[in-house]
Amino acid sequence: MIPSDPQKVTGICFDHVDVPNQNSLAVARKNGAYAFLPTVLKEFDADKIIDEVKTSGLRGRGGAGFPTGLKWSFVPRNTGKPTYLLCNADEGEPGTFKDRDIMRFDPHLLIEGMIMAGFALDVKDAYIYIRGEFLHEANVMNEAIREAYAANLLGENILGTDYSMDLTVHRGAGAYICGEETALIESLEGRPGRPRFKPPFPAVEGFYGCPTVVNNVETLATVPAILEHGGAWHAAIGVPNNTGFKIFSVSGHVNKPGNYEVPMGTTMRTLIEDYCGGLQHGTVPKAIIPGGSSSAWLMAEHYDVPLTFDDLIKAGSMLGSGAIIVMDETADLVALTRRLAHFYAHESCGQCTPCREGTGWLERVMNRVETGHGCEADLKVLKEASEHMAGRTICALADGAAAPILSLLEHFPDELRSRMAQSHQEEQSA
Amino acid sequence: MTALYINDEEVTVTPGTSILEACRENGAEVPYFCYHPELSVAANCRMCLVEIEGWNKPAASCCTPVAEGMKVRTQTEALEKDREMMMEYLLIHHPLDCPVCDQGGACKLQDYAVEHGASHGRYAEMKRAVVDHDLGPFVSTCMTRCIHCTRCVRFADEVAGTGDMGVLDRGDHMRIDGIVEDCLSSELSGNLSDICPVGALLDKPSHDVSRPWEVTRHKSTCTQCPQGCDITIESRGDEVIRIRPEKDGMEPWICDRGRYVYDAFRSEQRILEPKVRESGGLVAASWDDAIGRAVELMKGKRVGIVFSPDWSVEGLTSIRLLNDAVFEGAKVAFDLHRRDMRSFAFEEGLAMTTQQIEDSGQVVILGSDLRQRLPVLMQRLRKRINAGKPVSRIGAMNYRTNTEPTKDSLIRPRDWSAVIAFAMQQVSGLGKTAAGMDAWMAGVEGRHEAGKLLADALMDDSCALLVGEEIRSHEDAAALIYGLDLLMRACGHAEAGKDGRNLISEGMNPQLLSSVFGDVRTSAGELFDAASNGELDVLLLIGSDPQGDGLFSVQAKQAMDKVPLVQVGAISGQISEYAEVQLPAAAYSEVEGSFVNMEGRIRVAENPLSSLGAERPLWKVMMRLIQDMGGDIPAVNLDELRAHVIRFAPQMEHAWRSSDELMITAARNNTATHASSTKAPSRSLDLISRYSMYREGAWVRASDLLSEAGCLHALDDVLVHPNTLAGAEGERVVRTSSGEQSVHVGSREDVVPGVLFVAKRGVAGDLSSESEVDFVGGAA
Amino acid sequence: MSAVEQALPQFSSKRLEEIKTLIARYPHSRSALLPVLHMAQEDFEYLSMDVQKLVAKTLGLHLMAVREVVTFYTMFREKPCGTYLLEVCTNAGCMLNGADELVRHLCDTLEIKVGGTTPDGLFTVTEVECAGACAGAPVVQINNAYHEKVDAAHMDVFITEARGQGGKK
Ligand SMILES: Cc1cc2nc3c(=O)[nH]c(=O)nc-3n(C[C@H](O)[C@H](O)[C@H](O)COP(=O)(O)O)c2cc1C
Ligand code: SF4
Ligand code: FES
Repeated sequence: MIPSDPQKVTGICFDHVDVPNQNSLAVARKNGAYAFLPTVLKEFDADKIIDEVKTSGLRGRGGAGFPTGLKWSFVPRNTGKPTYLLCNADEGEPGTFKDRDIMRFDPHLLIEGMIMAGFALDVKDAYIYIRGEFLHEANVMNEAIREAYAANLLGENILGTDYSMDLTVHRGAGAYICGEETALIESLEGRPGRPRFKPPFPAVEGFYGCPTVVNNVETLATVPAILEHGGAWHAAIGVPNNTGFKIFSVSGHVNKPGNYEVPMGTTMRTLIEDYCGGLQHGTVPKAIIPGGSSSAWLMAEHYDVPLTFDDLIKAGSMLGSGAIIVMDETADLVALTRRLAHFYAHESCGQCTPCREGTGWLERVMNRVETGHGCEADLKVLKEASEHMAGRTICALADGAAAPILSLLEHFPDELRSRMAQSHQEEQSA
Repeated sequence: MTALYINDEEVTVTPGTSILEACRENGAEVPYFCYHPELSVAANCRMCLVEIEGWNKPAASCCTPVAEGMKVRTQTEALEKDREMMMEYLLIHHPLDCPVCDQGGACKLQDYAVEHGASHGRYAEMKRAVVDHDLGPFVSTCMTRCIHCTRCVRFADEVAGTGDMGVLDRGDHMRIDGIVEDCLSSELSGNLSDICPVGALLDKPSHDVSRPWEVTRHKSTCTQCPQGCDITIESRGDEVIRIRPEKDGMEPWICDRGRYVYDAFRSEQRILEPKVRESGGLVAASWDDAIGRAVELMKGKRVGIVFSPDWSVEGLTSIRLLNDAVFEGAKVAFDLHRRDMRSFAFEEGLAMTTQQIEDSGQVVILGSDLRQRLPVLMQRLRKRINAGKPVSRIGAMNYRTNTEPTKDSLIRPRDWSAVIAFAMQQVSGLGKTAAGMDAWMAGVEGRHEAGKLLADALMDDSCALLVGEEIRSHEDAAALIYGLDLLMRACGHAEAGKDGRNLISEGMNPQLLSSVFGDVRTSAGELFDAASNGELDVLLLIGSDPQGDGLFSVQAKQAMDKVPLVQVGAISGQISEYAEVQLPAAAYSEVEGSFVNMEGRIRVAENPLSSLGAERPLWKVMMRLIQDMGGDIPAVNLDELRAHVIRFAPQMEHAWRSSDELMITAARNNTATHASSTKAPSRSLDLISRYSMYREGAWVRASDLLSEAGCLHALDDVLVHPNTLAGAEGERVVRTSSGEQSVHVGSREDVVPGVLFVAKRGVAGDLSSESEVDFVGGAA
Repeated sequence: MSAVEQALPQFSSKRLEEIKTLIARYPHSRSALLPVLHMAQEDFEYLSMDVQKLVAKTLGLHLMAVREVVTFYTMFREKPCGTYLLEVCTNAGCMLNGADELVRHLCDTLEIKVGGTTPDGLFTVTEVECAGACAGAPVVQINNAYHEKVDAAHMDVFITEARGQGGKK
């Protein structure tokens, strides 16, 4: 283990994204890729790896923030069935675009993370489920995997050890819901991506009924650093219970949108003002979506919230995938909400009654309200139809669909009402 | 056991039970749409929400397992609001056409809307319209009413095994679709309309015929196959409008044959009044005149009696009483599929219940198109296969089962003894033997490796053999069955309680028939030959149609050309051309009677439909005949008749007195030892006459609905393997024992070479009595 | 083999080899369904019912299993589209940066509606959900290649060039 000072670390997943040709094995190796892998394969065992990951405090970067080491420890051993590792590279949550950069700029980091995770979980077959639109990224990943096979980093007896693992890139085909881990599994089984109810959890019964671990790209790409430097090293970054770095995808009305990997606990203001060059118009945001479109909105009063899982929950929202969409004073929030309502209606897998019918209903009401044909009763419908979707379905898409509407109703009811008044005026003048 | 609290009441259930099932078991009402006890859990309707103490949101009870100490609430204000909202979501696009919908009055959506719905919906946007599908003659669709519970899709995947229903698209465009060529390919398709909780999938034949509240229900037993399913006959007045599985019956499903045969009850083919032949035609007559004519034809004559096994126990016994009272020593036959009349080592019927078969360690299907023959038992086996339990099969064709058998082996009928001998060799190699086995084995020259599959299955702790028509109709059936009996003994499967010797019978009541007619029965073929040879003067056919069914159509025709026919029955059929007299007997829906199914399960029907015409229960017709023939009437009421039943079949003693489930087990013949045959085949091709559930049986042929389905499901009338055909499909000359005839021959890959498959009632009906044939010129 | 079956489109033998290797990567061949549909769409441009039947036959699936997947995923097309498929992301990030105006511009320039194809069969314009590239908003995918920070002028140049090439991709 190479102890290094966590205070001096500048990044984990993005340490080398800017290096030209980092996607080639040769360049990646020059920058340390796979250097520590032999030690892991030869000197570590499953328990040690899982312990280090537990110690590191790493929480899943895909959205739910579930402790990764704990998830791995749920996988039953010696079931007689194979265990599968699936990398969730579906990246569909509106506003999220971080995994794409890891895959297209530093694919070997992900491969290395997957080998280590696979080794810990005794995985023979691992898959990267990548959203279908990321064709270029899939090609880059495939080329990197080809190189890794050629260098005996994948396949039979990796680096001369007893451990063998195959890695396959599997392209989705345009369905946001396939980012939900059980929908992803269904999709990987060649079916429509309709989430499964839990229990059973994938760790016990996942891909073809076998124990399965699903982890986000960023989560897996963090593993090599944790094993190399030790879990305690990682735990010293960020704040307690919210350790390490996190990539934030910032978009919307900021001057320098992009991905920023910062220590957990950095405040929203610092991220937006210091890294993203501030807002396009005005000085404080009108609203901020902090964790992808499915998270509840934050207002200007939350500008100083530290970016951690726990603080965002305290603020009434969630860190989610770390996708921050910033809206300045020019934003038309009714239109934006209508657009998101369309998104959820379009992406609902259709199986749960409240989500299937509710998302469509909300979208249609929002369409009407946005074009100025709403009425006061619609506000109640929007509220009740949203509230009774959330938490009553198989997966959390319905909660995500409810979030923007409930945020709009809570924080900007007047903006909604002024649309109605507008149509009223038009009618009267007509 | 897991203890939990439902609405403050402590209950205990099996661990792993869902909360919904725990509630159902303990009488706590929870509404649901997508849950169905026979299907996998989908948890998509979200109607079954309950509250669990300590959970921050309501839980879907159908997919949440119980946990020790869990505190569940099913009735709270918040849940009421949730249910109201769930109904509002569901009704967004649902048409408000209950008054014209067939499901109206029996619709879960309607019921819950009343119970849980708000007084009016608030949805004011565009409504969705969905296109309907043509799914064939039995199921009609109104997809706009669909609530996407996916019960039908799960049914098609899991129960029917056909996978032809599916979910297309997503979001609120999501819709149910069926991909069918002419019709749904499942023989269980009629159940779709039953499992649809709303009016999206409807029973096509009864569409728009009646409303649920106009219907009277009659509990009955289906006699269309030996399964003898518990059914509810729905009628309006005396008109049957629908048949469904009995709610608390043994099986949740019935097959399309048993369901749609009902149109035969009212068909032109029904015999509803006595008739006598006058100047060439059959004309209506009084009972007195018709009976008089029958007596005239039969009195003092040598009579051959052929009857159907599907009458009620009382009806069948009355036939025996007739025989004993006035036709002592007459030839009596009821089995149209059995060539070998030597006694079988295990008599017809099952030694196991269908549940025991489903649970058995191994199941082997021996020579049966089980999906057509016993669709509901085949469904049980499908369920078994889906659960990962083995079902193997040996037979002449890859008969469609809608789920791959675990192991499969194709053999010709002439190979059976070699198969059994090989299995014997295998098990004796493992130290298993029975007295007589070595000799049986030694008597067989060849060995067929399909026997390995049989031997492997026999080595399991429990093994169910399902012996089908390929063996039962075999010329050497008794020897083959004895061979199987030896194997079962050798492997220790012969003791009562773990006996897996199941011989699939031709029709209902197999155990009773053995008891009542065991000592007087003869072969139907022999009986017809006797008539042709002048050894009989008259034929009395009671519900049997030997021209349409079975293996002896040619002989039956020859016989009837020779001697006059007295026909007693419910269905007229083609055979009535020969009848001098027709006496109407009541249909199975119209009698107070008892039935025994292949498992030996006894059912007593008590509220029959009333008669449509002048027909009477069979036993009354028989008593009248006895009286007019000058005999002493043995029974004047059902009680007296049942005393006679018990005289022949003491196992029936408690049938009418106890409310317990009674079973009569299939008989054993420890003396039926038959050496293996050494007779060499005389022709190059074996012939199998294929059974079709849509064509076999007088009732079925009288049903237009089933006839239509029969056309849609039909294969070529005569089929062989392409290698056997050695040339293009088309006309071929076939040589049989009785000469040569030209038939159209089609080919299929999934049949064993060297066998000619003949569909009965097809153009090749005349071939079905053969067991061996040759192609004239060009045969492989 | 009946005449109907013969009329089905066929995969090239090279494709069939690829499919065989692909199937070997999974515990069950059914998992190859999405990748094989991608291949089929590449080979046949869109997934007609016949192509779907071919895929079903190739993987030993019921046609319904294929239909369910084809209709569930938005990237699978059952109808042909223009030589250039312009998919404009109009979700939040892009919307806040002018995606709606871009769509309007494209539709006006090409004189079609969203979802429509120009009469010469060159261009189809659709709106899609978040492309996962919001830092480059607005984003347009042209035949699966990402074009980021696109504006109207950009697209005008592209359209002129594409027209000049007379329909070759
Ligand atoms: C509707 C929905 C969409 C999701 N989309 C993604 C996604 O695109 N990428 C992702 O990594 N996780 C996504 N998730 C979260 C996954 O279900 C899962 O929690 C995650 O992949 C676990 O990985 P982690 O523990 O490494 O975070 C989504 C969840 C939901 C409910
Ligand atoms: S909540 Fe929506 S997306 Fe999630 S499983 Fe239910 S219907 Fe599908
Ligand atoms: S909103 Fe358009 S790429 Fe994210």
